[in-house]
This record gives sequence, structure tokens and C-alpha cells, in this order.
Amino acid sequence: MRYFSVLRILGAVALTAVPALASGGGGEIADPAHGWDVLWEHVLIDLFAIGAVFAVAAAYWLIKYKADSPTAVGTGPTLSRAQMFGWALIPAFIFMADDFYLAANGWTLWNTYRTVPKDALEVKVTASMWQWNFEYDNGATSDVLKVPAGRPVVLRMTSEDVVHSFFLPKHRVKEDVMPGRVTYLWFYPKEAGKTYVTCTEFCGAQHAEMSADVEELPAAEFNSWLASAGTPAAPAATGAQPDAAPGGAL
Amino acid sequence: MSAHATTGQHWDTSVAPLLVAVGCLLAVPLPFASYFQYHSLGMAVGFLGIGVPVLLAGIAVWVQEGIAQKHDQFGYSQMALPIFITSEVLIFLGLFTSYWALRLLAPAWPPAGSPHIGLTIPIIMTIVLVTSSVTYHMAEGKLEEGDMGGFRSMLGLTLLLGVVFLGLTITEYSHLIGEKFTPSANIFGSAFYSITGFHAAHVLIGLGTFIAVLLPALKGKTNMDFVKCAGVYWHFVDIVWFFVVSQIYFW
Amino acid sequence: MKEWIFTTDHKRVGILYLVGSMAAFAVAGIMALLIRAEQFNPGLGVASEPTQYNTWLYFHGAAMILGFLIPGLTGFAANYLIPLMIGAKDVAFPRLNALSLWLFWMGIVVALLTFVIPDAPDIMWTGYPPYSIKTSGNTAFYVFTVHLIGFSSILGAVNFLTTIIYMRAPGMGWMQMNVFVWSLFTGLIVQLIFVPVLAAAVTLLLFDKYLGTHFFDAAAGGDVLLYQNLFWFYSHPAVYVIFLPAMGLLFEIISTNTKNRPFNYNALVVGMCGLVLITGEVWVHHLYTSGMPDWIRIGQMLTTLMISVPVGVMVMSLWGTLYKGAISFNTGMYYGAACLFLLLLGGLTGIPLAMTALDLHLAETSFIHAHFHFIMGIFAAFVVFGSVFFYFPKMTGRMYNEALGKLSFWLNFIGVNVTFWPLFIIGVKYGMPRRYYDYARIPEATPYHHVATYGAIMVALGITLMLVNWIYSAIKGPKAVENPWRSASLEWTHAASPPPHGNFAAPVTVSSDWTPYNYK
Ligand code: HEA
Ligand code: HEA
Ligand code: CUA
Ligand SMILES: [Cu+2]
Repeated sequence: MRYFSVLRILGAVALTAVPALASGGGGEIADPAHGWDVLWEHVLIDLFAIGAVFAVAAAYWLIKYKADSPTAVGTGPTLSRAQMFGWALIPAFIFMADDFYLAANGWTLWNTYRTVPKDALEVKVTASMWQWNFEYDNGATSDVLKVPAGRPVVLRMTSEDVVHSFFLPKHRVKEDVMPGRVTYLWFYPKEAGKTYVTCTEFCGAQHAEMSADVEELPAAEFNSWLASAGTPAAPAATGAQPDAAPGGAL
Repeated sequence: MSAHATTGQHWDTSVAPLLVAVGCLLAVPLPFASYFQYHSLGMAVGFLGIGVPVLLAGIAVWVQEGIAQKHDQFGYSQMALPIFITSEVLIFLGLFTSYWALRLLAPAWPPAGSPHIGLTIPIIMTIVLVTSSVTYHMAEGKLEEGDMGGFRSMLGLTLLLGVVFLGLTITEYSHLIGEKFTPSANIFGSAFYSITGFHAAHVLIGLGTFIAVLLPALKGKTNMDFVKCAGVYWHFVDIVWFFVVSQIYFW
Repeated sequence: MKEWIFTTDHKRVGILYLVGSMAAFAVAGIMALLIRAEQFNPGLGVASEPTQYNTWLYFHGAAMILGFLIPGLTGFAANYLIPLMIGAKDVAFPRLNALSLWLFWMGIVVALLTFVIPDAPDIMWTGYPPYSIKTSGNTAFYVFTVHLIGFSSILGAVNFLTTIIYMRAPGMGWMQMNVFVWSLFTGLIVQLIFVPVLAAAVTLLLFDKYLGTHFFDAAAGGDVLLYQNLFWFYSHPAVYVIFLPAMGLLFEIISTNTKNRPFNYNALVVGMCGLVLITGEVWVHHLYTSGMPDWIRIGQMLTTLMISVPVGVMVMSLWGTLYKGAISFNTGMYYGAACLFLLLLGGLTGIPLAMTALDLHLAETSFIHAHFHFIMGIFAAFVVFGSVFFYFPKMTGRMYNEALGKLSFWLNFIGVNVTFWPLFIIGVKYGMPRRYYDYARIPEATPYHHVATYGAIMVALGITLMLVNWIYSAIKGPKAVENPWRSASLEWTHAASPPPHGNFAAPVTVSSDWTPYNYK
């Protein structure tokens, strides 16, 4: 059972590595996107190991046991009762152990994904066919998601019409947005940059075009933008103007 | 059924399945879409006009062949029916689960604007349906004794009780709709009419099978398998009703 | 002619199922080519407007699953093989069987109407509300396609379960049945239990759209997620309605061509039953990003991962069957051997999807396309193709062209890999979303889409050659020898090719030491 020991080593390495990375150590904010990349690599190695064992076995046997005469008959073993149980239960437990290993790591990362850091900036997201609208605490609204670099951002999201899904490929996170419920996700833009959000739940003709820019601005720049955009008159903007939603006329 | 000996080989055939299938296509999807999706009453009526006769013809041929035992009859109907009923149970479970989910997650139940739904009619309906199960059981007994006349009259009585049940449903519906409680009134209306309506549709199918049993029986022909199966199905519909009553009316 | 369209014989019903499901596959495959052509470059290409792309994709997904694979396996293969394998004259209810067949065909007809009606359905095979309710497209036809094919499946399941339980040849115990019979028995139990829930879900959709009810209307107290839960409560198990019979059929091909009995048959049977038990508790893995409560997502991550235990047991049996075999490589076995690798590739890529946290990035990206095309669109489809080659001499009494068969196999096998590997990569790397006719945000993905499109063209070539081979050989092929693969199963040892009505010249009985895998 060499295969088992490979798994064990892999498991041991990853079990210690992933939680350590996920919790980030020493008061730092755990970034789920980074955790994702790490876990993805471990899972790939794990699955590649399993796949390789089986693929090599299949290829080897397919070549080795090619019939040498047209009347040949296979000579596969007949199993005793103990062998029957053994060949079923031992692999089953190995597979189950691997499942537990995967589940444990998956769960750890999941907790990072769903535990919003305390000082996160909160932005309200409203989806409609086919656009994203962002609203900040001070009433500022925008169709570009502007966030300060270096601070976690939590989005509280809902939809005005059909189900959409908010996907930030760069930050390895998505969550559906639907009428009648508020869902959330958070992400951590560490450095200033630009990326985009895109819709990943089928929502009609312009589903493929339902995208918005995300600007991860230096904190100072963000703060001055927010202050200037947040005029007291702005709160009325949330879906109140009948002409504001070009896609709403379905 | 006919056994053509064209190639010296015998292949069983029946026109009934194709007729029923084509009838189903013409009688439900096409008229429904014509009317509701394309707003064409004429087209809907046209499809119904062809579809319903084809469907009924198919069923008639089917029953005829069945009663005449013309086909390779392996006699497994009574074993197969419980298997079929398993899937029926799951349809109802799907509907009830939806109802439970909606109701338990709702802030208040029944939602504002729902009328008070009286318990008198459902209680009478329960009594009628249970009685009909009993009368059908008695009909089966008569048939086993070989008393064809008794069988026919008990079967007729069962049919009548079934019709009364449906009549009560219609009375209740029209009363509630008079109070502006329609399927689109609120979420309770949606659930109420869907579940009771779906059950009523099963009663209707049950009555359909009874008619299919009764018509040949008037000419003195029956098929015991068929009679038994119709009975089991009817008892099943009866049992579902208990759940409808307890979940919709009394809860 | 009359003996075909009015037939109640299980073999003819089976062949008519095959014709219907291959027709659905061909049309859906042509849609796939259009999809690939549209995705060749970002921006609107061959489609005249986005909605047209959406109707293609709707038809492609719905027809491939409901029209091709489920009827191909539980319709064609089950009908043709079950009575023969268990030594019965026919199924328990021949006319009901014919009714299932024609209801399925009516479902195909409704689906095909997509191409001629105005306002064709544009809601994808999942039909999520509220979009499916708000759209001006014809959601009714989606619902009725599901109803017709669903009702056909339920009747089929009732029929075959009864047949398997009560009509086995005298003497045939449960543990003497062919693996395929077991796989169908378990698969049909899944079908019987879960199809009704789908029927209920889409019926509520119909009510909501056309009769004004509010089940999925959040503003009136309904719930958007209710539909998704009902839908996937069925549609996850549906993948095992495909997977189980596909595994069973694969065992027939592999076992016969390795001249080895299935390794650890008993464990295999337990594995299949285990899959039935677990399949109803994992549907939320399609809803990881849908805003379901956190604890359900975690719970079902664990149950989903545990699927690899019963499947793993089946895999051990499959691999064990090769060990010390005497393997002959005909076209059927080419497909069978390829399926071993496809199963690994498609199955193992389900694992990261099953891990909730990883799925937050992978969900609804083309990584999922690659996963399910490999396990379903390719693994299961290859089993169907392989089984047609394998049973070709039985069904037609003639032999297909082996060289052409192998050529089309290589075109298909290389072609699918060229098509779907790029989708894995852009799914992970760029998060290439699903159901996108345009990907202007991700121009880097363009070369990958080019490669995928070339692969699809290669597959089209392979499929065309395969179909030509079948049709030509069925009419003009050389007479096949009886039992060319030296199978020990009843359909080969006790019935003529093709079998006459009633299947066996004399009633079949088997002894207690008989097995369908006793090769000589
Ligand atoms: C025949 C069809 C089929 C089959 C068999 C499977 C099998 C599996 N699928 Fe797949 N799946 C689909 C068809 C199928 N799937 C389709 C159509 C979709 C998309 C639907 C849509 O949205 O349109 C989908 C989507 C899908 C998702 C949803 C992703 C999302 O939408 O976000 C997930 C998530 O968990 C998933 C997981 C799995 C798993 C874990 C298996 C497992 O059953 C795989 C088990 C097999 C193995 C694991 C390999 C062999 C085993 C071993 C070698 C033993 C050792 C292995 C380990 C210890 C890991 N699938
Ligand atoms: C059994 C299932 C199955 C099969 C076999 C296939 C086969 C193929 N699929 Fe499909 N696919 C799905 C099931 C399947 N698919 C599902 C469920 C979806 C999701 C839908 C959704 O999102 O709702 C999907 C989605 C899907 C997409 C995603 C599009 C998007 O999200 O925007 C793509 C894109 O590349 C694709 C491609 C292909 C290709 C290239 C093939 C090829 O392998 C096809 C090869 C076949 C042919 C090329 C046809 C050959 C036939 C002929 C040449 C005819 C000859 C005729 C005569 C001789 C009479 N499929
Ligand atoms: Cu919004 Cu897709
Ligand atoms: Cu699934």
C-alpha cells in the first residue's frame, strides 16, 4: 500500500500548511483568495496522485493482458469471503480517509470565506437586468465598485428581478443575488488595482454583458471619492427612478 | 392486436400506445401553449378537438384489448401498482414539502387577505371519500362471489360518491373564489389550489378508471387484475386526502 | 412498417428508442457546433442575437440529457437487453413499454419545436425562476418536454422494476444477474423516486408563469430557492440514472472482452446500492453559491465527497476485472478502455467542485463544463456508443466495419480531449463563466476557445463516420457469426441474432452455479 503512504504524507503536509496559511498568523487578515490558491494546489496533487495510480494501473494491465490467442480466457482470481471484504472495505476506508482530509481542509477555508473581518467596509449591491449598482453607507451610489486597498470589503446583495450571481474571479469568490433575500460575500483587496465583477447565473439575453469595473483604490483616494460622492440627496437613487433600469421592462 | 404472419414471423402489435401518446401531445402541451403562450383560442380548440378524440380512442382500444386478454398477459399488474404508487407518493411529497417550506418560512400564516376556510365541507368530503372506498371494497367482494349485478351497483355507487366529492370541491372553490381567494391571491391561495386541485385530478383519474371498468362490466366483461388495481389506486387517493385535510384544512 | 410503429416487442421498442435518442444527439450535437462557433471569438458571431444562442444552448443541454442519455440508457439499452439477459420473453407490460417509447418521442417533438416556434424557450435546461417566469419565451414547452419524458421514464421504471423482480428465468438468483441488470435496477429506483419531484417542480413553474400563482415570487411570499432545491433534488440523482446504467453496461463490455468475471461482484452490487442511498443527500452541491444556510453547504460537502466511496468500490471492481484478463481489442473495447480514463478524469474533477470553498470560484465556470462533459457527455456517451458496437451483431445479425469503427473512435477520443481540456484551463485560470455567448472581459481566453472549437469539429467528423458505419453495416454489412465475442450471457448463448419475437426458442432455466460471466 505505497499509495496510502503517499496520501498520508500529502495529508500531513497539507493539514499543517493550510490552516496555518488560512489563519494568516499574528493578527493579519486571512485572505480567502490566497487560501483558495493554496488549497487548490493541494487538492490537485491529491487528485493527481489518485488519478495517476489508477490510470497507470489501467494502462499497464490493458497492455500486459492483451489476449495472446483468440481462444484465451481470463484467469482473474476467485475471491474468498475474507478477500471479498478486504478488497471492498480497505479501499473504501482509504477513500473515506481522503474524503475526510479534503472535507477538513475545505471546511477550514470555508470558515475563512464566511467569517467577515470586523472592520470590513460594507457596500450594498443591487443587481438588476443587466447591471450592478453599488451603494455606500453615506448614501453614495455608483455603477463601478470602488473599494479601498488594504481593507476587507463585505457586500450585502439583493436583486430587483431575477437571480444573478456576483463573481469576482480575481478574488476567487462568488455568491448568488436574488430577489427576496440578502446574501453576502467578502473579499480582501490587498493592493491597489483594477479588476471586474461578472454575472454567473443565467439571467437573460444580456447575461454575458452584465459586468462592472472594480477599482481598488489607495485608501486616501477612495476616502476622498466617497466623501465627494456621498451627497445627502443620493439615497433616493435605489431603484426609485422608473427610468433608471433599462433592463427592467421585460 | 393482430399477429401478421407476413414474414412467417409473429410480432405483437397494438395501435393503442401510439394513439395515447399522440393524443397526450395534442390534448395537453399544444393547446396549453397555444392558449397561454400564444393567446390563440382557436388553435387551442383545434388541437383539443383532434387530441381528445385521439386520446379517448387510444384509451378505449387499450381497455378493450386489456379486458379481452388479447396480449401477452403476464399478470403482474398488482405487483407493479405499488411501484407506481411510490412515484405518486413522491409527487405529493414534493408538493407538500414546498408547502411546508413556504409556510414555515413565512412571517405570518395564513398571509393577510386569506379568508377563513370552513371545515364543514372538508369533513363531508372526507366522509364521502371514505365511504366510497368501502363501497368499492364491497364491489370487489361481490365480484369475487360472482355476483355481477351486485358488483355493477356497488361500482355505480362508488362512482356516484366520487362525483359528489368533486361536486363538493367545485362548490368550495366557487365559494372561495367568490370571496376573492384565487390561486393568485397570495401564497396560501397558490398552495391551497395546487394541492387540493392536484388531489382532485387524481380523483378524476380514479373515476376515469372506474368508468373504464364499468362500461365493459355492463356487457358482463371484467378483468379481475384491472378491478383490483383500480381499487388499490382509489384507496391510495383516499389516503392522500387525509394528508390534504390534516395539512391544509386543520393545521 | 406497421410491425415497427405499432410494435410492443421490447427489442423493437429498444431500437426505436435508439433511433430517437441518436436523433436527439445529432441535433443537439449540431447545436454544440453552433455554440462552439459562436464562442470562437468574443462578441456576437454566428448567432443573430444573444437569445438565439440561448435557445441553442437550451436545446443542447435539455436534449443531451433528457433526449439522448437517459433514453439511450434506460430506454434503448434497458429495453433491448434486460429481458434477454434475464431470460424473459418480454417485459412485464409490453404495451406500457410502447407507450413509454412514444411519450418519449412526443417529448422530443415538443423539444424540436424550439426551432420553428416564435418565442422559443431560452431558459437553459435548469429553468430557474424568476427568469423562466419573466421571460417572454415559451417556458411551457420546457415544462411539457420534462413532463412527457418524465412520465415516460416513470412508466419505464415501473415496467422494468417489475420485470427484473418477477420475470427472471427460473433458477436465476439476485446475485446471478448481469451487472447491467443490477445497475439498471438501482438506477431505475433512483428514477422512480426522483423524477416525480422534478415533475412537481416544473408544474409549479407552469402555474406560476401562466396561472398566476406565487410559489417562486418573493414579493408575494414565495421563494426563489424553493425551485432550485426541488430541481436539484431530482437532477443530481438524475446523473446517477445515467451513471449507474453506464457503469453496468461498461462492465458487460469490459468483462466480456477481458474474459474475466467482474472482480468482486458482491462488493460491486453493494457499491451500486450505496450510491442509491447517498444520492438523495447531496443536491445542495449545486447550490453552494446560492445563499443556502452555511451548515447545509458544509454538511452536503461531506456527503458529496463520500460519493467517492461507493463509486470507488465500483472502480476497484472495474479495474480488478482487467487483472489477468485475456483482452481482445475490438471497437467496443476501445470505447470501454477509453471510458476507464474518462471516468477518472470526469469523476475526480467532481471532487474540487464538491468542496464548498473551492466551488466558490469554480461554480458556473467552464471548469464545470469540462467536468460534466467528461463524465456525462463523454464517459456515458462513449458507453452508449461502445455498447452499440458491442451489441451490433446481436441487434442486426450483421457485422460493422472494424477499421472504420476504430478510426471514428480515435477521432472522437482525441476530439473530445481537444475540446474540453481548454475549458478546464480557462475555467480555473480566468473564471470563464458559463452560458456566455460573449466574453469581452476575458480576451485571453480566445485561443483556448479556438482550440475547443477545432476539437468539436473533429468530434463531428468522428460521429459522422460512426453513424455512417452503423447505418451502412445494418443494411449491407457481412453476416456476423453467432456470439462473436464469446460471451456467456443469455442474450448471446440462448437467443438467435437478431432474436425473434419471444426471444428464446424454448423457455430458459438456469442452474444455481450458472453465471453470465463463465467464459470458455
Ligand atoms: C453522469 C453525470 C455526472 C456524474 C456521474 C457526476 C459525478 C459527480 N459530480 Fe457532477 N455534474 C454533472 C454530471 C455528473 N456529475 C452535471 C451535468 C453537472 C452540471 C449541471 C449544471 O449545472 O448544468 C455537474 C455539476 C457538479 C457539481 C456542481 C458544481 C456547481 O454547479 O457549482 C458538483 C459539486 O459538487 C459535482 C460533483 C460531482 C461528484 C463529486 C461526482 C462523483 O459522483 C464522482 C465520483 C467519481 C470519482 C471520485 C472518480 C472515481 C473514484 C475513485 C478513483 C476512487 C478514489 C477517489 C477519491 C477518494 C476522491 N458535479
Ligand atoms: C450528454 C450530454 C452532452 C453531450 C454529449 C455534449 C456534447 C457536447 N457539448 Fe455540451 N452540454 C451539455 C451536455 C452535453 N454536451 C449540457 C447539459 C450543457 C449545459 C447546458 C446549460 O448550460 O444549460 C452543455 C453545454 C455545453 C457548452 C457550454 C456553452 C455555454 O455555457 O455557453 C459547450 C461549449 O463548448 C458545449 C459543447 C459541447 C460539444 C462541443 C459537444 C460535442 O461532444 C458534441 C459532438 C456531437 C456532434 C458534433 C454532432 C455530430 C452529429 C452530426 C455530424 C450529425 C450527422 C447527421 C446525420 C448523419 C444524420 N456544451
Ligand atoms: Cu445577471 Cu447573469
Ligand atoms: Cu450533482
